[in-house]
Amino acid sequence: MAKGLDIDHLAKLARLNLTADEKVLYSNQLTQVLTYFETLAKADLPANSDVALVVTEKALRSDEPGVSLGSDAVTKIAPASYDGQISVPRVVDDES
Amino acid sequence: MSDAWEIVIGLEVHVQLHTRAKVFASASWGFGKEPNEQVDPVVLGLPGTLPVVNREAVEKAILFGLVVDAEIPEQCAWDRKNYFYPDNPKNYQLTQKDFPVTMGGKVEIELPGAARNIMGEHKWIRIHHAHLEEDVGKLSHSGSGSLVDYNRAGVPLLEIVTEPDLRSAAEASAFLNALVVKLTQAGVADCDMEKGQLRCDANVSVRRVGDTQLGTRTETKNLNSISGVRDCIIYESKRQIAQIEAGNKITQETRGWNAEMSRGYVLRDKEDAHDYRYFPDPDIPTLKISRETVNRLKKHVPEAPFDRQRRYIEKLNLPYTAASVLIADKALADWFETAVAAHPTNAAGIANWAANDLLRELSAQSGTEVGSDETPAVKISLDSCLIKPAQLAGLVKLTDEGVISKQQAKEVFTEMFSTGKDALAIVEAKGLRQNSDTGELEKIVAEVIADPAVAKSIAEYRAGNEKAINALKGPIMKRTQGKANPVMIDQLLRKLLG
Repeated sequence: MAKGLDIDHLAKLARLNLTADEKVLYSNQLTQVLTYFETLAKADLPANSDVALVVTEKALRSDEPGVSLGSDAVTKIAPASYDGQISVPRVVDDES
Repeated sequence: MSDAWEIVIGLEVHVQLHTRAKVFASASWGFGKEPNEQVDPVVLGLPGTLPVVNREAVEKAILFGLVVDAEIPEQCAWDRKNYFYPDNPKNYQLTQKDFPVTMGGKVEIELPGAARNIMGEHKWIRIHHAHLEEDVGKLSHSGSGSLVDYNRAGVPLLEIVTEPDLRSAAEASAFLNALVVKLTQAGVADCDMEKGQLRCDANVSVRRVGDTQLGTRTETKNLNSISGVRDCIIYESKRQIAQIEAGNKITQETRGWNAEMSRGYVLRDKEDAHDYRYFPDPDIPTLKISRETVNRLKKHVPEAPFDRQRRYIEKLNLPYTAASVLIADKALADWFETAVAAHPTNAAGIANWAANDLLRELSAQSGTEVGSDETPAVKISLDSCLIKPAQLAGLVKLTDEGVISKQQAKEVFTEMFSTGKDALAIVEAKGLRQNSDTGELEKIVAEVIADPAVAKSIAEYRAGNEKAINALKGPIMKRTQGKANPVMIDQLLRKLLG
């Protein structure tokens, strides 16, 4: 397993309930991905080879309001809705 | 070790920027719309959509940086902050972690003075950085479920992070007041707290006076009023001091604030919520900000409010109270300066009218309470004001020249405010011109001079003691029940005494 890969922690963050078999399967797959990146990181590159795409302000959008979907369309794609709002199980931060 | 405690506060201020469209999407936004009516596929992060950054949001963020004297880095970039929570439709928030739009900066604050007419201490609060991110949706809770409105999701949000430079609840209030004035005067944001346009997280820790190490801090989230920030800091610092004095340790935790109960509480841990697994957003390229843009925006930076206050006090001889009222509203201060240009010899007189009578009438007209805790920026509209700056200058000029008394000026002002007529026209129409009373006043002055009781003062005046003339003014004022024009009394006295 790649260094620092904690499948239980990742599953928890991703809200996934993994079976024991799945944990092994995904651990192996993620380890392969991470190993590949470790290989990439070892590549000998010139010092200033920043490959990040940099754009100028020409690539920005103007502040022109466009079309909205409307609440019917938005709530239609949600599993449940009520009165134009999307309905989800109670998630609450307030005083308990 | 000292028994005295020092409170150390840093604030994270979230401000919705003044734009029409959202920050990465073209959906419009604004307060008071039906739920989910301002949502488009980009806001929801639907497959196949790509965010594109709103130029106006970037420029407003840069303008903020310039207003607080921050550095505008050559490049800024966006990251994904990943978490699963229904306030966020795409399971990550677009924010700036490593390359924010502004770095550093500072804000001058003014603490309350010993009295309203005494200027309090000034202090500079350093800004660490400000980053441009998207706001999240709004949750409301009912019974067994929660309801989600994504109208707010994607609204441009500037998070302004201070250094831990604040030392009291009063300083935090003063900082927020100063920040709101700066943001609104530069047109960066409206900062309407009742509409949730400015929200604040407060990091609070305490330490013994003299300690150099910072204490363990707590973060209270989502404070939505300046009074809430103040009350929360007072509560939280007292709580921490009591804990430490009882021999307990402070736990680093995230807290909430119940404004109705004036009480803080520990937020239930959102299971590793702090493991956000940030990574650079692959959809939004790094943005290079040209120096031309920065230089162009520099021209939109208004004079700093406290610089303006100093100029009013030092150059225009305004009393602190009037100066502090005027600088809180840029439009009013500009209006005042236009009036002063029309009658430069009595700026203090004009300021007195503008900061008191005019502001009182305007706020009565608009129904807003001026300078209250939650509206530090004066919210009045000069658009509907019938008196033009030069007209107020005209009124002050008439009083300065002794054409009308101060008492009469009040009457003229009231009519000017409701009709927009020139002061002189009102004076003529009402026959207020003091000349019409000259004969009567001259008679009274002559009678007073003839009174043997003042003979000594007259002799002194004639012997060269200028001030002796003042002793004669009191009796004249008394005889005219205070309605006589002091300038005219002076002129008549000098004339009759030769």
